[in-house]
Amino acid sequence: MSKQEKNIWEKLENLPREFLYGLLLIAFILPMINPIGLPLPITPEVKKWYDTIEALPNGAAIIIDQGYSGGGEPECGPFAVAVYHHIFKKGGLRVIGVATTQEGPLLWDKAMAEVNPEKYGRKYGVDYIMLGYFSGVETAMAALGKDLRALTSTDYKGASLDQYPIMQGIKGATTFDLLICYTTGGDQSEGWVRQWYTPYKTPYLCNVLALMMPTMLPYQKAGQIVSLTKGAQAGEMELLVKKPGRGIASADVMTMTGLLVTAFVVIGNIAYFARRASKKKA
Amino acid sequence: MAMDLASVTSIWLAALFTIWAYSYTFRDNMWFKFAEHTYVGAAAGNLIVLGVDNVIRYGWIPLTKGSMLYIVVFLLGILLFSRYHGKYFWISRFPLALMVGIGIGLSMRSTVTSEFIAQIQSTATMKVLGVDPWTAFSNLIFIIIVLCVVYFFVFTFPGIHTGRKGYISKIARYGMMAAFGYSFANGFLSRITMIFGRLDFLKAQWLPLPGAMVALPIVLILLVYAMIPAEKRPWPKPKPAK
Repeated sequence: MSKQEKNIWEKLENLPREFLYGLLLIAFILPMINPIGLPLPITPEVKKWYDTIEALPNGAAIIIDQGYSGGGEPECGPFAVAVYHHIFKKGGLRVIGVATTQEGPLLWDKAMAEVNPEKYGRKYGVDYIMLGYFSGVETAMAALGKDLRALTSTDYKGASLDQYPIMQGIKGATTFDLLICYTTGGDQSEGWVRQWYTPYKTPYLCNVLALMMPTMLPYQKAGQIVSLTKGAQAGEMELLVKKPGRGIASADVMTMTGLLVTAFVVIGNIAYFARRASKKKA
Repeated sequence: MAMDLASVTSIWLAALFTIWAYSYTFRDNMWFKFAEHTYVGAAAGNLIVLGVDNVIRYGWIPLTKGSMLYIVVFLLGILLFSRYHGKYFWISRFPLALMVGIGIGLSMRSTVTSEFIAQIQSTATMKVLGVDPWTAFSNLIFIIIVLCVVYFFVFTFPGIHTGRKGYISKIARYGMMAAFGYSFANGFLSRITMIFGRLDFLKAQWLPLPGAMVALPIVLILLVYAMIPAEKRPWPKPKPAK
């Protein structure tokens, strides 16, 4: 009996990965085909992010770092899209996009195609603009903060910035009312604290990959970030903005797969302790 | 709405590469290798184009507009390539030292304030009195664990981690384990969101395209076939070792 038990626990501990991934795939596909519609509560961080943008005065300038990579787009992208919807819907705000990752300008185009600012009556060069990719991460952030116009005279398509009304009065960090960063890299999320918040006290909203949250939370606790959110909270922002998209669609999947992996962890632990106990008995 | 050929082609390619890339989770196979190598090549190509574009935008254009100081920048940039020369490789150390120096100088100017003083201030000013019971409890736990973890990393006096004092290190270990658990859970959430993004792309953009529903089983059958070990496959037979 003891030997039989041992075998069961051992088998449970060494389940083939193909089997586990197969189950995970089913947990993905089922809620995608048949959405369960589980409730999605709005967390204080997302509400604070929303309220910060809502409180901006007419004509306020926002600098946005489109700082996520292509690989991180499925996580950060939906949140960014929901925020763009909010900004363009509110109106009267000037959005100046920059990118500290190479794919940034491409992903900006993707996000703009999804949002379609023209639908809200916003125009390129008047309400929003993308200045392009700036290499050097913190060196670039410092230079942007000091004098953005000295760093570049063109937008990401090579057109002169002088022709765009949005750039009037825009110089360095002191001319911006808000800094937003969506990123998949710690260099960016922490770099903005060091190069913009600390010297210029620019209010800072930061959206990162969920796995970056533990390293970024101390900055929020110290008041250096107004609101820190993870890309996986996109559904909450979509609910606030009333623009259902990829975020809400992923909520059921995240819950189902989360439950499944929790079950894996519990079973794995039971098997480990049971095997240890049966070994001791023997 | 009819899609143009470029969009359809890019969706097909993105879909196939997504399936091939994720097939590795089940077993290594030649389709995954093809996707991996193509991705690395495309990324390198993209990086070169962006690098050249950067040199033109932030170096060449200002130079042609009369900012002669950029000649120094170009010279320093060219000197970086001396590292490939057997005899004069040491020259590359000068521009590199300059780059590292500027980088460190820029980050150091605010590191102490943003990552040291601000963090200590926020922990030291945490309230355990005059706040609601839950916040007080949470802040108290936070302060205890911070102090214990700091204690844990004092290696100068090994004696302070033995005997009864060892309990402090034990509390620190549990605190750190809880933080690692939180990290793991968040890491898992990130990966799940990323996989969902790709599956959602397949469902919403690729499968509605004409021919995709027929192609999906063919792609999957080819993948499963490629996962069979070469010696067990009826065709092609592995080449005999020389």
